[in-house]
Amino acid sequence: MLHRLEFGALVTGAGAAVEAERRGLDLVAVQGDGAWTRLSWIAGVTERIGLVAQIDLAEHAPAVLARSAASLDLLTGGRVTLALADEPGTAEAVEIVRNVLDAGEPRPYRHLGEHYRVPQAQRGPLPAHRIAIWLTGADARSVRLAGRTAEGWIGTPDELAATGKLLDEAAAEVGREAAEIRRVVILDPRAASASEPGAADLFELSVAALLPLVVEHGAGTFLLRTDDPDELRRFAELREVVLRELPEPPPAPIKPAAVRAKRRPGIDYDNVPASLAATAVEPGDLDYARVRSTYMRGGAPGLVLRPRSTGEVADALAFVRAHPGVPFGLRSGGHGMSGRSTNDGGIVLSVQALDTMEVLDAAERLVRIGPGARWADVARFLMPYGWALSSGDYGGVGVSGLATAGGVGWLAREHGLTIDHLRAVKMVLADGSVVRASDDENPDLFWAVRGAGANFGVVTSFDFQVDEVGDVGFAQLVVAADDPADLLVRWGRAIEAAPRTLSGQLIMGPPRPGQPAFAQLMAVVDAADPSVIVDTLQPLAQLAPLYNQNVVLTPYAGIVNNAAEGYHSGQGDPVSRSGLIEHLTPAFAKAAAELIASGAVHWFQIRTVGGAVADIPPAATAYAHRSANFSIVAMGSSERRVDAAFAPLRSHFDGMYLSFETGLDHVADAFPPPTLARLRELKRRYDPAGLFRDNFALGDQS
Amino acid sequence: MTDYGHDLLFGAFVTPSATAGAELAVVADRAGLDLVTFQDHPYVARFHDTWTLLSYAAARTTRIKLAANVLNLPLRQPAVIARSHATLDRLSGGRIELGLGAGAFWDGVEAMGGRRLTAGQSIDALGEAIDIIRQVWDTSTPGPVRASGAYYDVSGAKRGPAPAHAMSIWLGAYKPRMLRLAGRAADGVVPSLSYLPGGINDYADLNRHIDEAAEAAARPPAAVRRLLNINGTFSDFGRSFLDGPAEQWAEDLAGVALDHGVSAFILASDNPADLELFAAEVAPAVRDLVAAERA
Ligand SMILES: Cc1cc2nc3c(=O)[nH]c(=O)nc-3n(C[C@H](O)[C@H](O)[C@H](O)COP(=O)(O)OP(=O)(O)OC[C@H]3O[C@@H](n4cnc5c(N)ncnc54)[C@H](O)[C@@H]3O)c2cc1C
Repeated sequence: MLHRLEFGALVTGAGAAVEAERRGLDLVAVQGDGAWTRLSWIAGVTERIGLVAQIDLAEHAPAVLARSAASLDLLTGGRVTLALADEPGTAEAVEIVRNVLDAGEPRPYRHLGEHYRVPQAQRGPLPAHRIAIWLTGADARSVRLAGRTAEGWIGTPDELAATGKLLDEAAAEVGREAAEIRRVVILDPRAASASEPGAADLFELSVAALLPLVVEHGAGTFLLRTDDPDELRRFAELREVVLRELPEPPPAPIKPAAVRAKRRPGIDYDNVPASLAATAVEPGDLDYARVRSTYMRGGAPGLVLRPRSTGEVADALAFVRAHPGVPFGLRSGGHGMSGRSTNDGGIVLSVQALDTMEVLDAAERLVRIGPGARWADVARFLMPYGWALSSGDYGGVGVSGLATAGGVGWLAREHGLTIDHLRAVKMVLADGSVVRASDDENPDLFWAVRGAGANFGVVTSFDFQVDEVGDVGFAQLVVAADDPADLLVRWGRAIEAAPRTLSGQLIMGPPRPGQPAFAQLMAVVDAADPSVIVDTLQPLAQLAPLYNQNVVLTPYAGIVNNAAEGYHSGQGDPVSRSGLIEHLTPAFAKAAAELIASGAVHWFQIRTVGGAVADIPPAATAYAHRSANFSIVAMGSSERRVDAAFAPLRSHFDGMYLSFETGLDHVADAFPPPTLARLRELKRRYDPAGLFRDNFALGDQS
Repeated sequence: MTDYGHDLLFGAFVTPSATAGAELAVVADRAGLDLVTFQDHPYVARFHDTWTLLSYAAARTTRIKLAANVLNLPLRQPAVIARSHATLDRLSGGRIELGLGAGAFWDGVEAMGGRRLTAGQSIDALGEAIDIIRQVWDTSTPGPVRASGAYYDVSGAKRGPAPAHAMSIWLGAYKPRMLRLAGRAADGVVPSLSYLPGGINDYADLNRHIDEAAEAAARPPAAVRRLLNINGTFSDFGRSFLDGPAEQWAEDLAGVALDHGVSAFILASDNPADLELFAAEVAPAVRDLVAAERA
């Protein structure tokens, strides 16, 4: 037995499809005129049953067909299979459909064939599951084509008996296993051929008629050609009997040869720990498009491990330890700039599935958050309690990427960094041991996790003490920036003079010809009284003529409810430089204005820190540059140009927040000497082999 | 006052993306709108295939009419369009109309393997397509389809199925040549307000071309329904055309109906609240205003 057996009906009407679903059949197939339209309709009136349409290629251009199939697959949560008759051009059509559906490939698809020309189609949408393509045709050529390329072959019982061997041979020739091709048998109760099981055989002899097809010829799917409710009922009963009499467990899923062919060197795919095999993703898997890249970077990892528990994280790390020469990245929300959470040909460990959130102690406002949650989710979770945890400005950022580094957020001046709310973590260390770290347990580690966590292990849960936060004022102002240096100085002064209830940021871009220079000012005021909000914002609004303003009263969760849905499809490799600074002095502002005017950076942003952030002593956490009032980031695309333009700013800085920095050689800027010395010592203790190295790796020079 | 005497229709113009498209069709159906429509850009990967979405949405709704707004002819075949529309019309109890366009974004069409035509050629091709579609639908005439034109040759193709109701063909039309084709051969035009360079007053010109062509073809101008895709903002205070409270929208649209004979307003929005407001407050008020004026 090659497959889990499936029983379906080849119907003409929607009513029969609904009946087939009601009776518990596995799938329903349609063929003939308007098959796709009828199947789409059937999809809308059923909820669960598998859907197969036999497509007439004379009526459907393959590239459009691919989109149609992906659409229906997405609409139905992955219920769709395509069947194609073998005609001239079918081989090309299969190739086109497959490639257009391969949405993870960044380049458009080009096919200039004998039968079809697709000069450069966009790929996608990505379907909900891998859409199988079944082929019909009993002559040798068709059977070979199916053996080489299809996920299924369709024929009558006689045809199956006659062609099974050929199918296996054709598959073997291209390195496919027989089990990659499902044999689909059409049973026609009204068939003329005496040798085929007719209605009588089928329903009286039942199992005896089907068993040889399964056992001797590998049939995996039976499709009964009927719209008759009574026949559908009896076929469903037969299904029950057969499944009962063939109690073999379904065979383990196999990786198709086409996927195995894309495997990268150096990775021992066959020994992925059993606990992770089902969720792991490799190139060629459908989910690969969803996991290969991050928000900022295009990537092509060789294997993405997706543990669902702390135990599975330990299993994953054992696998990683066995691959010392292979790049390794750790991923949560995939917004890393410093963190290389994707790579080329390496292993990625994604904690995204560890996304639970719970309240541990309501009186203490103590919550436990999984590393894979996103900050938008956390904010939504806390909102009903009247709580919030200042994180960053973007809701798509992952919990563990930010909460192991710092967390400069909308309430930073009032409530401090995200890490300042951390009370304990659970983590898996490089050797696979699972430890808790807090002020009482492993305090060294707890110190290190708050600012340099990516160097010490995989955090699998965070205990945070969160704040009571009601509605807040959120302002977005666009102001004239005719004299950017002057604006920076005055904005800096206004921020430093503002009460701690105000935190915010300033964004500027390169000058655009013919347009006035402007700056975007954003601020959150933690107050529920509109007049207090307006008063607090007044000094900012008076800095320069306003082009635009928008102030709303919103729950904190409303501000970070800005995460894009869907998967990351970042391309390229960003260049980002950052620094922390105490005051925006005129000398600094002049250098910054020149940087902006240079055109070398397309994004210049200053976030406010200081306030409560500076209440914590520098030695208390690995994030040590506590005296800064501002965190600066500049992004561009050419490393050389950005560095040249950014150099004059550096003398003004007092360290740097590593999360906004893509240059990993700036370890000494991220950590002042005493901090760095202690971190290196701890690194030698906890991760001597340097397993965790994707984000400001602490080398072992002392 | 221009009035072609049609009953008024109110519809939704929904982005064919993700499952939201199908959900919005259900919202529009429940809200009581008459029509839900989807644009069709098969070369854009992030959109759903419009025909698939429309078929699926038809199955999940009970009352509302559905149409593409408008179907991209260059990447589809006329006979297939005719048959699939007829098939779905029969499945849905006569709720499907055919919105058809000559094509635009030729780079996208070509990238997918379609043929690039000039604007003029594409209109001729559309004319041929309409003829083929009507022949396929016409099962009362004996013999196969006869059509060997410059762009399509489907002579000998079998006829049928016939739609369940007299299906309308609406064209996305703006320029004189296209409008003349509509006047001659179509049952409606469905331009978008945002593409009318002079705003709503351009509709007078549209009507003139359509009416002249219809009369030249010995058809009553009323054979061609005037539809309009609109967009706007519901806000508490009236600011401008279709930017204000529902009552103001009603005044604005009644004016368009009475001045230009537009009898179908299709609101471009993916916001369920907008569609509900449009159905609950704007549509009945426009109907009342127009009925009062017609009386
Ligand atoms: C659009 C945008 C806006 C941002 N805004 C802010 C902001 O306002 N304030 C702010 O402070 N930061 C901000 N950042 C920076 C952001 O906090 C960091 O890039 C952060 O690392 C992203 O976390 P992630 O989980 O999404 O990223 P990922 O790419 O998934 O992870 C980044 C790195 O974190 C480490 N890591 C991930 N999971 C774990 C784990 N379980 N245990 C240990 N280490 C782990 C790894 O080294 C990994 O490479 C922003 C980034 C972006 C892209």
